[in-house]
Amino acid sequence: MTCEKIMAMTKEQVLEIAITAGKILLCSGAETYRVEDTIVRMCNLRGMDTVSVFCTPSVIIVSNEVASGFTCMYRVNRRGTDLGLISEINKLAFSFYDWQYDYEETMNILREKLERPPRPYYVETISSGLAAACFAVVLGGDVYEFIGAFFAAAIAMLVLKQISPFRPSSFWETTLAGVILCAVALIFQKIIPGNSMEKMTVGAIMPFLPGVAFTNGLRDYMAGDLMSGNTRVSEALLLVGGLAIGMAAVLGIWHA
Amino acid sequence: MLISILFAFIATIAFGKLFNTPRRVLIPGGLVGAIGFAIYIYLKDGLGYSSMFSNFMGTIILAVISEFFARIFKEPVTVFSIPGIIPLVPGLPLYRAMNFFMLNAYNVGMEKMVQASLDATAIALGILLISSIARLFKTSKEMAMQAKNKGAIKP
Repeated sequence: MTCEKIMAMTKEQVLEIAITAGKILLCSGAETYRVEDTIVRMCNLRGMDTVSVFCTPSVIIVSNEVASGFTCMYRVNRRGTDLGLISEINKLAFSFYDWQYDYEETMNILREKLERPPRPYYVETISSGLAAACFAVVLGGDVYEFIGAFFAAAIAMLVLKQISPFRPSSFWETTLAGVILCAVALIFQKIIPGNSMEKMTVGAIMPFLPGVAFTNGLRDYMAGDLMSGNTRVSEALLLVGGLAIGMAAVLGIWHA
Repeated sequence: MLISILFAFIATIAFGKLFNTPRRVLIPGGLVGAIGFAIYIYLKDGLGYSSMFSNFMGTIILAVISEFFARIFKEPVTVFSIPGIIPLVPGLPLYRAMNFFMLNAYNVGMEKMVQASLDATAIALGILLISSIARLFKTSKEMAMQAKNKGAIKP
């Protein structure tokens, strides 16, 4: 018997472990089928063969095909992107069939991942600035545009991180990012006259484009999760619109 | 061209860091992005193909490589494909479209807008194609496993 530790847990405990894992996956931006697959696989190991999972980007519902079954539901309000967490949970789910920990230990592992403190600001600030600056060079920029794009994206990301405790909607967050990065790029163009506004701005918007939502949405479509696919692709379009509105506001004031 | 490919490599690594990719797959992830961008820029600037076709081919190669890397490094595919796709995203036509709209040049702006959305569609088609093919392989493997140990795992 490979999974005696799992058989020693009750069904409710395994279900709780599974839904916590699913929660972490969805909150860190995994695709829908990965969440559903993880929960179903974990539950099947405990002999719960009739478990059904329905997951969209904002809710996980785990229920039973039997009429007298259970229902668990988890509502997700805020999603981030953390590919490292997805990969950790993925490893955990794949090693679950010869699991060596009991319920308490497993829940402690999962809780540690769930309540992991956010990374320090400077990591995300510097990496988004570096990414933006490199894109400015990819588009044919020189050293000054490299610096301009770096500061435009880094300042915008820093402000977003500062206001994130207030939990703004992601649309307004992206719009604000567009306003800030466009304004910073304008200032840099004024300071160093030869600088191309275009290269700096296009470089700087790259960290704020919803690449994750877009890619995951398309993968959801192909996995047959049409509702999640629609949600994510329209989220991506909304965020691109927000970014464009933010930049257009600054440029409009400038041109006027 | 080489400089831009090199900087696409660094930018993809920076994106990997931004999305908190595990440290040991940062360099392979950067390689995925650099290869996709290299294919794109070679087809577009070197051979003179249209931007849409170049994006499509770049995405296909990139997605295939990230599927393989996911098997090799035992990580989810998105760890490679999400940062890798970003150098191809049509930021420049999008910005130009918006800028022309602000200058009341709707004709040119619309042209750029259509170009941006076609590029995005090409990328989307590339991802759709490869992920559906990858799913075919995965499903056939699962079916073979189910047929092999029918009821063996279940207590």
